[in-house]
Amino acid sequence: MEQEKKLTEQESLHLITMMINKAKESYHDTGIGAVMWGAVIAVCSLVRLSEVQFAYKLPFDIYLLTLVAIIPQILISIREKKERKVKSYDDPYLDYIWLGFGITIFLLIHISNNIFGEWGSWANEYKSITGKQAPFRFGEYVNPLFLMLYGMPTFITGAACKFKPMLWGGIFCWLCCIVAVYTSIKIDLLLTAASAILAWLVPGVIMEKEYRLYKKEQAQLNV
Amino acid sequence: MFKDLDPILHSQLRLAVMSLLISVKEAEFTFLKEKTNSTAGNLSVQIQKLKEAGYIEVIKQFKDNYPQTTCKITPVGIKAFEQYVKDLQAYLTQK
Repeated sequence: MEQEKKLTEQESLHLITMMINKAKESYHDTGIGAVMWGAVIAVCSLVRLSEVQFAYKLPFDIYLLTLVAIIPQILISIREKKERKVKSYDDPYLDYIWLGFGITIFLLIHISNNIFGEWGSWANEYKSITGKQAPFRFGEYVNPLFLMLYGMPTFITGAACKFKPMLWGGIFCWLCCIVAVYTSIKIDLLLTAASAILAWLVPGVIMEKEYRLYKKEQAQLNV
Repeated sequence: MFKDLDPILHSQLRLAVMSLLISVKEAEFTFLKEKTNSTAGNLSVQIQKLKEAGYIEVIKQFKDNYPQTTCKITPVGIKAFEQYVKDLQAYLTQK
């Protein structure tokens, strides 16, 4: 590009538009984080479903996998930040939204575990007195709460980045949340796995594909 | 014809750099070079001119033992860019 070329009004406006569009096209997430979390949540839900369905119990809680996944997520985030040549205005907000989401999820786990403990002793007492199962099953209402939360950051990210697969993924989580209120735990777990696949795994794969294509194009341009 | 337009911005490469920087929070020198398809020497000179005008901030630091130059538009630069676009639009509506 020549620095002192005389520009007409139209050329100036065209150049501004072209450069703004080029800047917008330069945000490429690797999608690896989304793929990983989509896979982790889907696997956890399906393993828990198989535990309920086939009446067995693993020697550990499968959801501990989500804690293990935090380590690669930190490494992925550090690497992505290092590789990024440009910072957008949305970056810090989206980072805080996902951080807040992570903290909220762990708080919800803590709260629901406490309620489950309280409710468990009450349900046992009820059974010993009446000889019947307690009519209210707290476990039936836990998954919709998680699905409701899954939808929020996914929807915001999809809308902010104008990335429709994630936007629709967020809406899908909320639809599953409504359905899960009225369904059994088994269906709830299936809906959770489906939400994780559609909200994170599939958009992550699409992002990763787009990122590879972008990298390939950049490599060809630099040859 | 363009006497009222900001001469700092009314240059192809400087306008391209400012248009890129108005859309992002900050960008590395290599990103600007890649998007404007310019040479490093030419881009350095134009960035220096924008810096001297107070339109951009240039941060030089080391990243993994390599020098890294990051550019960021300043509030003065944003104001100047907005004024430039307004002036351009005025010209086009007058025609």
